[in-house]
Order: sequence, then structure tokens, then C-alpha cells
Amino acid sequence: MSAKNMFLKPGFVRAPLQNGVGRYVCQLQRIVFKFCKSSGGSRGMRDYIEQDLVDFAKVNPGVVVYLKPRRHRSPVVVAEYLNGDRLWMSCHNKTHEEITKWIEVCRTQQGNNEDIRLRKYQYTDYPSVQGPWTPFTFKDPELNNTVLPNTKFGVNNRLPISATEQLRLMFEKQKLYEGDEIKTAE
Amino acid sequence: MALIRAGLQRLASVFNAGPAGVLSRYITNLSPIENKSVSESTKDVIAECNSLIEKNASRNFAIVHLLGKQWRVTDGDLLVLEGFWPPNIGDKIKLDKVLLAGTKDFSLIGRPVVQPGLVDVTATVISKGLSHTRTHFKKKRRKQYMRINFQRAQQTILRINSVEIASKINEAPNNVQ
Repeated sequence: MSAKNMFLKPGFVRAPLQNGVGRYVCQLQRIVFKFCKSSGGSRGMRDYIEQDLVDFAKVNPGVVVYLKPRRHRSPVVVAEYLNGDRLWMSCHNKTHEEITKWIEVCRTQQGNNEDIRLRKYQYTDYPSVQGPWTPFTFKDPELNNTVLPNTKFGVNNRLPISATEQLRLMFEKQKLYEGDEIKTAE
Repeated sequence: MALIRAGLQRLASVFNAGPAGVLSRYITNLSPIENKSVSESTKDVIAECNSLIEKNASRNFAIVHLLGKQWRVTDGDLLVLEGFWPPNIGDKIKLDKVLLAGTKDFSLIGRPVVQPGLVDVTATVISKGLSHTRTHFKKKRRKQYMRINFQRAQQTILRINSVEIASKINEAPNNVQ
């Protein structure tokens, strides 16, 4: 991990309440829209509330939607999740489309991911099925009974022939042929 | 004649001279122990694997290709996929690019992918959100150059529901007519 994000709290991937094992439960539980009825900063928020909010509430019956008008304060969305996370998001001067997209992100994620840096991108309860690898996996079980050093298991069959060995072979061959010559001379 | 014999013996000694001999390089330690014919033993192995699958003897795992990465998955795993990916929350999907599947006792290795219909990996999309804010900070000393960018990647969390192997190893695949 780089030191770039070290000031964030590190964490691991988790899903609350074994979500998705049996059935899937939407993790967004409550969403509060705070806005002003007159200021320009809330314009996009007001558009969203007028046009899309009722549909949003109909499509997501599991989400409680609150509207909180307040005078001369900038618009804010607060989302609360099943795992207790609370996501506060300023929507000042955001357009209708931007707010639609951010609300969709709030709806689909399972908590507030902002303040946790994931250390691993996978979580498993069973890290190994066939057993972890050791230097002795896939080795000949005969190794267990032999007394080492052993010529059979100590065989150097992994490396190419060394130059010394090649020279020795050539020398032995030469000697053999010399013998042949002597023989023919006989 | 004596000379020939001596020469031959010397040659033989070159080939068989203990651990450093030449022949030792070409003789492997592993030799078939059983005297059964190859095809017969393969049939035995396949039958054994099929029976193991039917008995549901142990947990299955699979290596799945997803978004350019390879993931080792078993039942109940959580995966975090980064980048744009169309499936939405609550969707149940089947992961088809299975590169390898295995249980405790055997592995099925795809070339490159295990035949379709043999291994069934199902998953549910749990969450689609954004990662934490990543800071991209660049600076060159004494060059009046500094850039700072912030970005958040799209993250999809997947729950693996099941990894199942059909007990029909060595049967013809469905996609071949």
C-alpha cells in the first residue's frame, strides 16, 4: 500500500448481515433532503424534489424519505444505512442531473465508503481448499523413507551440462579413440 | 581386446558415474507404478471424480476471469470490482469464464476455459458505490510544477452464492453439435 492514503482508516471488505447470501436487502434505509424554498443554491434540489422524488419513493418502498425545508441554508442530502453509516453530502449549486446521479450512488452503495481505505479487494472465509502449498507438495512420497544424501534424489538433472563436464566427456572420448587406433595398429 | 574392453568400461563409467553421470540427466525419478493401461486408469480417475462430485465430498472453488482479473472464488466470498460495470444491485449473475475449478481432491483445468455447463458460478451484486478519495499528487522540484488531482473509482461488491461442478466430467460439451 502506498503512503498516499495512509491517513485514512484502513479496513477490509464486509457485507452487513450476510447480505446477498440468501436474499439481497437494500442497505439505504433513510434519506433526508434539506433545502431552501427560495435561494438559488437549492434550485437543482427543488427541481429534483418536484420531478423525481415521488417516483424515487415509489420505486424504493424500503427507503424512508424526509424533506426538511429551511430558510436561507444550502441544500444537503443525508443518507443513513443499515450498518449505521451516515453520509452527509452538500448539494449546493448542483444541477438536477447531478443530484439524480448522486442519489443513485447513495441508493446503491452499502454504506459510507469515503472514510475507509480497503486493504484487500476480496474477502473469503476459506483461504485454501486444497491446502496451502509447501515445498513438499507434489513431491515423491518415497522421499519420506530415504536416508539423505541419496544419489537418486541428489541427481543433478536440472542444470545444463557444465563446460567442465563437457570437456571431461570430450577427453574421455578422445582417449577411447586413441585406444581404437592402437587396436587397429595391432 | 583388453584395450577395447577398458575403453568401453571407461565410456560406461562416464555415462553411469554416480550423481554426476550423463545418463542421470535423462532418467527421471518418476516412473509409472501401476501396470494398468493409460486409458483404463483415466477412466478410473474420471469415474472417481464424478463420484466425489455426487457425494459432495468437499468445498469447491473456481478461478474466474472477471473484468480482466482472475479471482479465486468459493461459496460466500466477497469481491470488489473496480471500474464501470453495468450490473445493478440485487442482480443475480452467472460467471461463465471459469479458468479452473477444483475440490479438495481434484482440479479441472480449462484450456483456457472449462467447457460451458460443467461449472456453475453464481453471484449477487450487493453494492455499487464509489471508493475512498484517492489523491494524485505530482510535483517537480525547482520547476514550478505541481498538480493535485482527486478521484474516486466506481466499486461493485459481488457476493459469490455458489460454485457447483456438474457430475459429468468427460461428457461432450453442450455447445458442440
